[in-house]
Amino acid sequence: MKFNTASKIERPIRLCQSTRQFAYDSLMHVYGLDTAKTESVLMDDIVGFEQMSDLEKYDAIIRKIAQTAPIRICDGEMISGAATLGMAIYHKVPAVYKGNCIFESVSHLTVDFETVLRRGINGIRDDVYKSLSRHSETRKVEFLHSCLATIDSFSLWHKRYILSLEKDSKYEKNLQNLLQVPFSPARNFYEAVQSIWFTFAFLRLCGNWPGIGRIDWLLGDYLKKDLADKTLTLDKAREILAHFFIKGCEWIKGGNYESGDAQHYQNIVLSGTDQSGNDITNEVTYLVLDIIEELGISDFPTTIRLSKNTPEKLLRRASEVLRFGGGILAFYNEDLILKSLTEYGYPPQDVWKFANDGCWEVQIPGKTFFRYIPFDCLQILQQKTLDNYSGTAHFENFEELYNKFSQDLTEKVINIYHNISNELFFTDDSKAILQHKPMTPCTAVSIFEEGCIEKGVSYLEGGPVYNIISPHIGGLPDTVNSLYAIKKFVFNEKKQTLSEFLKMLKNNWDGYEIYRRYILNNYSYYGNDNDECDNIAVRILADFAKACRLLDGRCDYAFPAGVSTFGRQLEWMPSRLASAHGHKKGEILAPNYSPTPGSDCNGATAIIRSYCKGDLSKMVTGAALDVKLLLSSVEGDDGLNAIMGLLRGFVALGVYFIQPDIQDKEILKEAQLHPENYQTLSVRVSGWNARFVTLCKEWQDMIINENK
Amino acid sequence: MKTNDKNIMITDIQRFCMHDGPGIRTTVFFKGCPLNCAWCHNPETKNPNAEIMFLAGKCISCGACVSVCPVGAQSLLPNRVFDRKTCIGCGKCVSCCFTGALTISGKNVSAENIIASVKKDLEFYGEEGGLTVSGGEPTFQKEGLLYLLDAAKSENISTCIETCGAFPADLAEKLVNNVDYFLFDIKDTNKQRLKQYTGAALQDILLNLFNIDSMNGKIILRCIIIPNINMNQEHINNLLNIFSKLNNAEYIELLPYHPYGNSKSEQLGRKDTTVFQRPTENEILEFAKALQKSGCIVKCHGSIIK
Repeated sequence: MKFNTASKIERPIRLCQSTRQFAYDSLMHVYGLDTAKTESVLMDDIVGFEQMSDLEKYDAIIRKIAQTAPIRICDGEMISGAATLGMAIYHKVPAVYKGNCIFESVSHLTVDFETVLRRGINGIRDDVYKSLSRHSETRKVEFLHSCLATIDSFSLWHKRYILSLEKDSKYEKNLQNLLQVPFSPARNFYEAVQSIWFTFAFLRLCGNWPGIGRIDWLLGDYLKKDLADKTLTLDKAREILAHFFIKGCEWIKGGNYESGDAQHYQNIVLSGTDQSGNDITNEVTYLVLDIIEELGISDFPTTIRLSKNTPEKLLRRASEVLRFGGGILAFYNEDLILKSLTEYGYPPQDVWKFANDGCWEVQIPGKTFFRYIPFDCLQILQQKTLDNYSGTAHFENFEELYNKFSQDLTEKVINIYHNISNELFFTDDSKAILQHKPMTPCTAVSIFEEGCIEKGVSYLEGGPVYNIISPHIGGLPDTVNSLYAIKKFVFNEKKQTLSEFLKMLKNNWDGYEIYRRYILNNYSYYGNDNDECDNIAVRILADFAKACRLLDGRCDYAFPAGVSTFGRQLEWMPSRLASAHGHKKGEILAPNYSPTPGSDCNGATAIIRSYCKGDLSKMVTGAALDVKLLLSSVEGDDGLNAIMGLLRGFVALGVYFIQPDIQDKEILKEAQLHPENYQTLSVRVSGWNARFVTLCKEWQDMIINENK
Repeated sequence: MKTNDKNIMITDIQRFCMHDGPGIRTTVFFKGCPLNCAWCHNPETKNPNAEIMFLAGKCISCGACVSVCPVGAQSLLPNRVFDRKTCIGCGKCVSCCFTGALTISGKNVSAENIIASVKKDLEFYGEEGGLTVSGGEPTFQKEGLLYLLDAAKSENISTCIETCGAFPADLAEKLVNNVDYFLFDIKDTNKQRLKQYTGAALQDILLNLFNIDSMNGKIILRCIIIPNINMNQEHINNLLNIFSKLNNAEYIELLPYHPYGNSKSEQLGRKDTTVFQRPTENEILEFAKALQKSGCIVKCHGSIIK
């Protein structure tokens, strides 16, 4: 049994042998492969299916899933419930009619597990009845009836587990827990873990990919009480929680996928403050870190909310776990994010609850609809501002060039806004919004999102308290570097005129290799703490935030800015032209808001300083920085202290979100050659991790090349 | 620049260093060294003056340097040649080189500007980290060094010096006032061998070491280890003897020899490089354990050996 790590240090062993074996089997695809046997339920035998409304079809599907999906009880599991239909792994409601999939499912949300724990599903059912008594509009009444139908289906599936668990006394504890939760409130830690898991598993069974959110905040008080009552030991609690993590690997199927096999937006958030500003770090926080450290499970990417008040002990534990590599831990700067959300207009009673959408975009869990719209600003510069290098672009000086680019960027943002408005709303001739268009049914997630039941409106039709559409700027570092190269080479040093320069770019640098090398080697680009270059990034961020803000507040959907690529630098590559900072067409450029690969020469602190110069608080849904540290540089106690220093520095400087990974290029290359020896080796992609060997070759190469 | 500011000839200011003293540090590499170690890891810092480095692999024979060289030291035909004997070190070729094949090692930077660079990472230093002066041998530029250390201290920045210990005896007292940690090299403890491979006199180095110790300067001993040179019992005994007599030495840090300096020697046109045997991971650990068992506190690969 080998839980791969990039580190030379052995992973510690705290869990019992059977739990470790369960983890190993899960990571080695035993349960994921099982899902291939039953991809979906068939709806062909349902009388009159074709004539049903979408909502009726949905209810029928969920009922059939609940009635017929295979029940899986893994040998020795401490918590039960499993999402056993294979099609769910592909982001679809796992049901087929005449050979076709019927509905897409929902992701990028973290549902309200708090209500599940404190009031149970029965409490939610009461809310639906109350809401029904208030609403009379047909669509709302139909939606609320669908909520009841979904809860009934959930209950059916729940009963099937009870019946199965009754058959084997080995699962007496699982049975007792499930007799209480999730329908009634959880009374202790073990029940609480089972309650969250069972609800999570049901949502996933129906095809959805929710995140988990602040697990230590959700579970901390239960554990504290159990420990005080001496009804549970810390070791036992660790075993229980480990089973939650292990069962979270039940969709791992092995083989190669574009972006890996662990991308199901199951993010967890740790630590941070409560409403009064007190640090909530508790025993659950440390148990999660123990489990990640021992098993290296990367399916729940875990982000720690750091602040100036983060306990030294947590900083040290996080650094220790980080050193095993795998990129499982990432960090939010709580001080900056609380400020960002408050300034954007979130009320104080919600701000402190922030977690993410299951990836890294910040949101208030359990009450937020979230969608982001990515775009590539490098293509705007190349294709619009510089007109595909056709030679028509003419600018007297850098300011003229920049202003035209900024104008093109603003236009793009306006475009995104109008497109999304048309997609979501019926509008009148003056483009005023009339009402939401009907969307795909999504009752299962809607019952766990505050606002939906009260309003009688589904998650996708504006039900949640907060509805966020966030344009995400991509290709930002390369745009900054391109503009900087033009500024230096054409306008400052006057080595070539702009039209001559564009000719070189149009030729993909062919025949101009010496200039290309000069531009690559002689300028200090974004990520090197060079104010002259970084200031271009500061300007673009400010202009982008302003463009979004001007459109905000025109409807119930908010329109905050964010920065990301999420690996799209690969997808965008064929549409991008040769870049002005010396890269030929076809090269894979910068991820997220991180330096162009190979351009950072001054170390991690310089990268962080470059990144922090812009007003990141205006990037309300987030701006990710990837930092790759060499294994050799974080060796030993000195290396540990260095990581802690790095984390402290990023809070002090005002980073938004950092996803550090510690990798060894040689190990990654070795894993590419001998995948059989590195089945469990994890790497950070962006917001999610992947077992390296399950990435396709292109993605593997991209990760290797991001390492110096 | 202030009138009393001092210029220092350095090769580089390296940020985010994790193994040059406690915490995260910014390391400044001074040029010039009184020793001549056969295994030098930073050969570009030996010469006190600026030098031109040429990395043939990056050269694309564009000829830009040929046209600007005032003395004809650069030629393209019949072969690409950089004639160091003719070169006057003016650096014109470096500033026109497109590919970065020609670089200059050595720049005069004012202490004030060095401090400004060091302050960029203040947020990362915490209570431990700060400035490390290295090289080369920092004491080789005595005045600039003392000025820089004083400036750092007046900004409350922690200071470390990496030194080979070969400096005038009267300097020790001045250093102790402004240095938080002496990363003090003991390259070998065999008098003849040390002379043979580095040119240094062991007794002068030890005199400085004990002098600093007597003034309560905090010391970390740094020892390069090279198979068939100093990885032997005699060296272990001698190190123990030194370590146990020091009152302010915290531990001995082992620096396994690596040949990475050689490529820089080639770029400097030096042909006299010796390649030593690189210690294996096992040899390193065995030596570290033996030294620790003898009674020393030993740090290796960033951790104190337990």
